[in-house]
Amino acid sequence: MTTIAEILLEHYKCKAKTSTGKKQQTQLPSGLKSVDDIVTFIVDISDDCNCSVCLLIHNIDGPALRDPDSQQHLSRVLCCSCICLVASIDHVNAPLLWDKKMVYTQFKWFWHHVPTFVPYKVEGLFNPLILFSSGHVQTTKTALVVLQSLTPNAQSVFRVLAEFQLANEKEEGMHVSEVYTKCREQFLVSSQVTLNAHLTEFKDHKLVKIRRHSDGQDCLHIPLPMNALEKLLQELV
Amino acid sequence: MAKHQSSPESASSQDANSQDANHTLEPFFVLHKAQPQATVVEKVSRSGKGRKKGTKSSPKSPEKSKRTTSDEQPSNTLYEQWRFKAFNEIWSLIQSNIEGVLRDINLKLFNEVLQWVEDSFSEIKSNVKLSSSEIQQPYPLVADTLFRKIPTAFVLTKNAEFVDDIQTFCDLGSHLKSNRCHVANMSALDFSLKYGIGGSVRSLLRQLHSEPLDGKIADMFTLAKWYCENNNKPIVVMIDDMECCNADVLGNFIAMLSEWVMKIPIFFIMGVATTIEAPKNMLPSDALQHLDPCKLTLGTPSDRMNSLVESVLVEVCYCFSLGHEVSVFLRNYFLRHDGTITSFISALKLACSKHFSLESVSFLCLCMLDQDSEERWSEKFVYLPESMKRCILNLHSCKREKNLQGDVGSIIQLLSDLKASQRCWSSVVLCLFEVARHSKMQFLDIFCEATDPEVYCMNNSDNSSKEHFKCRDKNSTERSSSGVASLTRVIHTIREMPVAALSNLLDKWNNHTEEMTEINEEIEKLQSLLASVNEGKVYEENLHNIRNRKSLSVLSGKGNSPNEKVAMLLDAMIRKYMKSIECMTLHEIICFRDVDVLRSALIGDPRKTIQLDLLKCHSYLSCSCCSSDAKSLSPSMHDTSIMYKLAQEYGDVINLYEWYQSFKTVLSSASHTPRKRGRPSPASKKAKPSPASETEALIQARFCGAVTELQISGLLHMPTKRRPDFIQRIAFGL
Repeated sequence: MTTIAEILLEHYKCKAKTSTGKKQQTQLPSGLKSVDDIVTFIVDISDDCNCSVCLLIHNIDGPALRDPDSQQHLSRVLCCSCICLVASIDHVNAPLLWDKKMVYTQFKWFWHHVPTFVPYKVEGLFNPLILFSSGHVQTTKTALVVLQSLTPNAQSVFRVLAEFQLANEKEEGMHVSEVYTKCREQFLVSSQVTLNAHLTEFKDHKLVKIRRHSDGQDCLHIPLPMNALEKLLQELV
Repeated sequence: MAKHQSSPESASSQDANSQDANHTLEPFFVLHKAQPQATVVEKVSRSGKGRKKGTKSSPKSPEKSKRTTSDEQPSNTLYEQWRFKAFNEIWSLIQSNIEGVLRDINLKLFNEVLQWVEDSFSEIKSNVKLSSSEIQQPYPLVADTLFRKIPTAFVLTKNAEFVDDIQTFCDLGSHLKSNRCHVANMSALDFSLKYGIGGSVRSLLRQLHSEPLDGKIADMFTLAKWYCENNNKPIVVMIDDMECCNADVLGNFIAMLSEWVMKIPIFFIMGVATTIEAPKNMLPSDALQHLDPCKLTLGTPSDRMNSLVESVLVEVCYCFSLGHEVSVFLRNYFLRHDGTITSFISALKLACSKHFSLESVSFLCLCMLDQDSEERWSEKFVYLPESMKRCILNLHSCKREKNLQGDVGSIIQLLSDLKASQRCWSSVVLCLFEVARHSKMQFLDIFCEATDPEVYCMNNSDNSSKEHFKCRDKNSTERSSSGVASLTRVIHTIREMPVAALSNLLDKWNNHTEEMTEINEEIEKLQSLLASVNEGKVYEENLHNIRNRKSLSVLSGKGNSPNEKVAMLLDAMIRKYMKSIECMTLHEIICFRDVDVLRSALIGDPRKTIQLDLLKCHSYLSCSCCSSDAKSLSPSMHDTSIMYKLAQEYGDVINLYEWYQSFKTVLSSASHTPRKRGRPSPASKKAKPSPASETEALIQARFCGAVTELQISGLLHMPTKRRPDFIQRIAFGL
């Protein structure tokens, strides 16, 4: 998104330079902090640009782009008349990513059938190997679905654990006693029994694992990679 | 979003092509950056040749035509430019018709809304007069419950497919803005639980502020401050699809704005798709009590479609038209597949673009836009290259014309006939539409029948016209008998119309047939006849005073009622003038008929296409090592194709071990059978003689790779914990 904005800004400034004779800076405005701000900037500046940007997206229906936010941001950017998109899809249910508004008024798709039979080297990089799954790995999506079905207090307890794990990457896990102390400070649990009930639920859903710490005590660990855990916390509003 | 490369020099296609591409995969890079505008302008000015070439893009230009000898022919690129230009012009015409029609349909509603906003705003302004400082203070709160109500218009769209109404709300916003209103178009995304009420306020401010917020806090104080600088206009907040909003966020937004409504006059316009009771069912009661509702209703989708068909497909049919099969496909696509006018318009645009990209002579349709046709065509066609003239004469419709001379004059005459025929066809179809309005018929059904060449052939006793057209499919007889159902119903409607409605109908027919003198005269006679009937005179007495005419006179028959006579006139018009475009010579210039191309571009259907690709890989790879038989398995086939074909033998779950053994058997048969020498296939490169363990490992690796590819395609599901040795199939059948 930022690169698209910079390209458009560069052309816009060049056009302004041609008319005014002064060189302009090509840095994006500093107020653009979120993706929404960048998308709005692109939509606003595209009216004044007489250039076009062609976006090529390989495997637009891949796991990295399947979340609704990514598709929404892409569809909003493609409302600009100066941006066009060519994308490849490989999944049989790819059209389910888009609603009718996105299909007809934003993306405005039309189809070309171009089978290549080239091996899925790039596409396979982001897919978990179907035959090598240990069965114990929780994906972010599955964890989110489970967490959303729990009570807000249980979610907060999980958040405490996740934040500790993110802040202390090298630690093997958080001690049960530390979890209890932090939860009591935040009024999330009133007794060890309550906390144990939450932890049992987490263990049943494979959200949390118990490890033996080097000091001999049990500690709790969330079996998710760091970036997946960060994303999970963001989704868990 | 993915990480990006801000420096184009650091990311190059060379890295992507290197052997380490898998390990140094960059999620995003700039492939090519266009040169800045100034540099391009300088280059063009230096090379005058380039600039001259750029101006010679139109067949109207005489300078290049004079220099072009019979040996020099315009390149394909030039023809593409002409066709592209023609597409832009034609589509602009169609697009402006569409926008005009949709705007006119909603104009009454737009004026109602504007009137309501102005009246409510006047009432608020007359009751409350506040200074700028008072506006910016949240306190004192307005205590009177009545005055805390926000005027709200619930617009009932009566359309489950909201995408059709997005443009309506945009047009409404433009209409209000042009009539001194501040307008903010908000959608369900602005009222999502994720961003909460802060996101809603931010979105509102972003639309009202002409400058970016740039770090300003998005809250009501900012809005109040902005309003002090831009007051004396109402603020209209349009929420196009209210039912898709999060009820809590929308409720809080309403409650918050209600605190400020007397200081910042805000009006809501909310689109409701289902019933008018939906807001009551959806919004919390404390939010509902802050709304002062009124109800408005949009036109129905069928009315809009009828208007579109009339103004887009019929009135401009002389420069772009659809063949019968394409018309039927689009009608079925609208009625059974999608149901939105937006999709219909997209399909029409796609058909138009395909026509101009596939038909080499399609650029000539621009001639149809000229008012003084024949004189200007003569000037242009003289300079048309020989190759293009040959192309025109090689059109299928020209080849079936027996006595066609190959000169420019004949081509011009045929074009002129085509244009005249289309105008007559258009007039007759518009007359049919006028009747269809009475019986609330769908114009699209009539349009499809009017484009059917078999209907014309059936109605004409001329055998030569029947020879020109052959039946397209086996069910043509069935289609012919049902294909005239709408036309029959139209004729029947006329027979049952009251005299007053009939008179009104004839007035409209008079307008549509201004250029058709013969028809016009008959209509005038019928109008006088109806006038006599209205005055109470016996209509038989007037028949004696009317001259007989051979061609279209329907008044000679004694004893016919006026309704019958009008029906007979319409029937005669249909027989004589409603000639399908596909029966005309040179129709390929303006008529798009390739329904298969349109269908494949419009409906991707990846679920079916991907499975077919795997089952019939040989038809795409066209290798000599594999059998062309779709059912046979050979080791040289693509691994994923082999696996998918083997998977067809299983039910909803596939035993991994058995599947692997079957795959191994297929591949192992390569070592026992001599391989054909021919075009190398991917499998052939892998099947090298190797020790048994390496072969086993290779087969396992290929098996896993193929399973992964099937998973990426969405045809398989990961094994469950209960049955780890079985993979679940997801897609079945085509």
